[in-house]
Amino acid sequence: MLKVLGWLVLIAALIGVPHVLSFSQQEILVFLTINVLLVASYRLLTLTGEWSLAHVVIMGVGAYASALYSRHFGIWVPVSAGLGALTACAVALVLSFPLFRMKGFYFLIGSFAAGEIIRLLWKRFREPFGGPKGLKRIEGMPDLDLGFYTFDFFEPVAYYYLCLVVVGASLWVMWRIERSPVGLTFQAVHWQDKLAEAAGVNVRAWRTLAFVIASGFAGLSGALLAHYIGTINPNSFEVEHMVFVLTWAIVGGTATLYGPILGAIVLTVLNDILLREIGLEQWRPLIYGLVLIASVLFLPKGLESVVQRATRAARPAEPEPKPQEARP
Amino acid sequence: MSLLQVDALTMRFGGLTAVDDLAFAVEEGAIHGLIGPNGAGKTTTFNMISGFYRPSAGHVRFEGEEVTGLAMYQVARRGLVRTFQHSTLFAELSVLENAQVGTHTAHYPSIWTAMTGLDRAERQAARAQAERALDFFGLSHLAHERAGDLAHGHQRALGMAVALASEPRMMLLDEPFTGMNPEETKAMMRLMRKLKGSGVTVLLVEHDMHAIMGLCDRITCMNFGRLLAEGTADEIRNHPDVIEAYLGGTRHVA
Amino acid sequence: MDLLLQTGLNAVYAASYMALIAVGLVLIFGVMGVINFAHGELFMAGAYAVVALYADLAVPFLLAVAGGLLFVGVLGLVMERALFRPLRDNPLGGLVASIGFLLVLQALAVLLFGVRMEHVPPATQEIIAFSERVRFPLQRLWVVIAAIVLLSGLWLFLKKTRLGWALRASAQDPEAAALQGISINQTARIAMFIGAALAGVAGALSAPLVSVNPHMGHSVIITAFIVIIVGGIGSLEGAVVAAIVYAFIHTFVTTFWDGVIADIVGLTLMLLVLIVKPTGLFGTADRA
Repeated sequence: MLKVLGWLVLIAALIGVPHVLSFSQQEILVFLTINVLLVASYRLLTLTGEWSLAHVVIMGVGAYASALYSRHFGIWVPVSAGLGALTACAVALVLSFPLFRMKGFYFLIGSFAAGEIIRLLWKRFREPFGGPKGLKRIEGMPDLDLGFYTFDFFEPVAYYYLCLVVVGASLWVMWRIERSPVGLTFQAVHWQDKLAEAAGVNVRAWRTLAFVIASGFAGLSGALLAHYIGTINPNSFEVEHMVFVLTWAIVGGTATLYGPILGAIVLTVLNDILLREIGLEQWRPLIYGLVLIASVLFLPKGLESVVQRATRAARPAEPEPKPQEARP
Repeated sequence: MSLLQVDALTMRFGGLTAVDDLAFAVEEGAIHGLIGPNGAGKTTTFNMISGFYRPSAGHVRFEGEEVTGLAMYQVARRGLVRTFQHSTLFAELSVLENAQVGTHTAHYPSIWTAMTGLDRAERQAARAQAERALDFFGLSHLAHERAGDLAHGHQRALGMAVALASEPRMMLLDEPFTGMNPEETKAMMRLMRKLKGSGVTVLLVEHDMHAIMGLCDRITCMNFGRLLAEGTADEIRNHPDVIEAYLGGTRHVA
Repeated sequence: MDLLLQTGLNAVYAASYMALIAVGLVLIFGVMGVINFAHGELFMAGAYAVVALYADLAVPFLLAVAGGLLFVGVLGLVMERALFRPLRDNPLGGLVASIGFLLVLQALAVLLFGVRMEHVPPATQEIIAFSERVRFPLQRLWVVIAAIVLLSGLWLFLKKTRLGWALRASAQDPEAAALQGISINQTARIAMFIGAALAGVAGALSAPLVSVNPHMGHSVIITAFIVIIVGGIGSLEGAVVAAIVYAFIHTFVTTFWDGVIADIVGLTLMLLVLIVKPTGLFGTADRA
């Protein structure tokens, strides 16, 4: 009962929040929502124990693909966004062949190299990627006319609601995957790949599956980004952004689905809202850097561990809620 | 036709030949022991049969089909599963979840049904199969415990439960009696007989002679990578070559 | 022909600073087992030290370079004490912490010097002209000389001195070394100081030759990774050889095509090595 109430409050808050924010803050909210999808998809990847540095570039693949499909083939934007996500899946599938021969640190560096190569290809070739200047005047989402109300997706508030729906649905799907035997297999591959293999799991195929699904959602977030800001260029997806995603995941913790989301929200609020008020937003890398260091040194299990401890303390009678317990 | 047949099996690591031209067969329904002094090549043989190593030469046939050089997951999917020596478990997962991983082959998880939620029946069947495996080893009461927190003996049993959860034709057990006191050894021997009774063929690599002699229908003894002797427990117990191979060692042949 | 010679000279110059950076990174990894992602920022710190001392405060150039070397060496010591030592059992954590430090250094550079590119006037205008079209500025030659001198010095230090021997022992087997009475803390400090100082001196000497900006570390660290992967992650000799090989490839491709293509070639090379032989050309047992 309490749970249902909690969800209702959350939904009401999510719907209401843009109306108490200034215009620029509403824009930040849109970006935050998109980033929530990005970091949650990254977390899906880390479920199998892989930490890739190509994730933000793959987001860019979705962005570039969706922008190009809508421009060159005149495809309806919502569909081209879906195609952008699928393109990201395809690129991930291709990359999985060389990359999954590598483990651990080598995979990290290899994924970084692969991502950077893609990014440099965007930079080098003006046809069709627009070179260093990138793509401009990307189509926006078409207006949605519901009779009593027209959603003009040029407006941040409307686009935020769109993102809320898309991201919410995506998170739900990711949560379902995680709770299913598929998610269990991902974890088995992460913790003891030899034992998983002895149980009949084709470890390489399952790692690839996680990589492809995570990339699809990253591509989707890229498409959402492209059709909002209207211009993208290779620097929109450079390594600094990857480091921010990494920071959200590490600061928030990756044992639960909400961990990295928590990290993203806390750090975005801290940086983009608080610091901007004080006018110190240029200090973003400094704050992120210090927070990352402090997190690794003092809170290695992430913010989610704080939440878990708090909820445990509030419910002494109930058995300890385990994040990964598969329920039928 | 034997359930498992090994012919001319050889493993070379660079200049070292760990296993040389080994041949033996395991009959269906038997408990078959693989013994030998340290360094005899038992574990290497084991690893070749289960697909962990690719043999340098020779053949492994399971149910009449060639499985030589297949990957471990492919071998497992054919019904030949193995356990691991040390407590190799998914320590962070619950006992039940560990067993559920074992049902992977029989109830292959599908991403599509997972996303749409249409996999309810499949998941229930998988869970039931996992629970049966836990029940077999007397672990049901620990189903929701974290696997890493279990006592040593229970961890061993869980390792075997994970293998059993795939409802295999044959299990390869890698030194299941290591580090067990006489009580635990007796309990484990009971479990093995129970396994045999439920129709699972067992190939057992082990040092504990008491267990081997007490359980095995047939025993293959290796030394220096080669076949030394093969026969029933009595034959092996009295075999002069076997006794000599172990002479001066710390084993006592029960 | 002239173009080939000129490009060759440019490649020699590139090989010099790449070798300094890569060797520093390998030294840190070898002795401490941690990948220092902030290494490019240490290069940047050396460059900015020269900006501050030489360009702004008119300290003589070579003195400014020495100052840069010391300053960055000390930064290395700070990193060792504050980040890598507490995280010694957690190399992944150390890696992440170094990423955090990367951000901090970048941000500090922006705050102290601004985002614009700094132009440091050359300390010497002299040019060695081999012919009308083949010329090698003395400023660049200094980098080459510094690389040869410092790397030879390092080699002597590691092979001929007791302290150097202790470092190598620590890199091979830290536990055994500790049992022999070698202080892990001390070898870590030395490795970190030298490794950082090498990057810092490369940056300091490069300051008049490149555009100094807070993001210059980005391409430096990428280059460093390419070199050490190709050379073999635990190998100092490999780092030097790979630096030379890569510098030549990169410089020639840049001259005959363009810089972006050269970067793509470099990254592809690294990817190929990772796929085919991850331990690199001179691969030794690695601690990654």
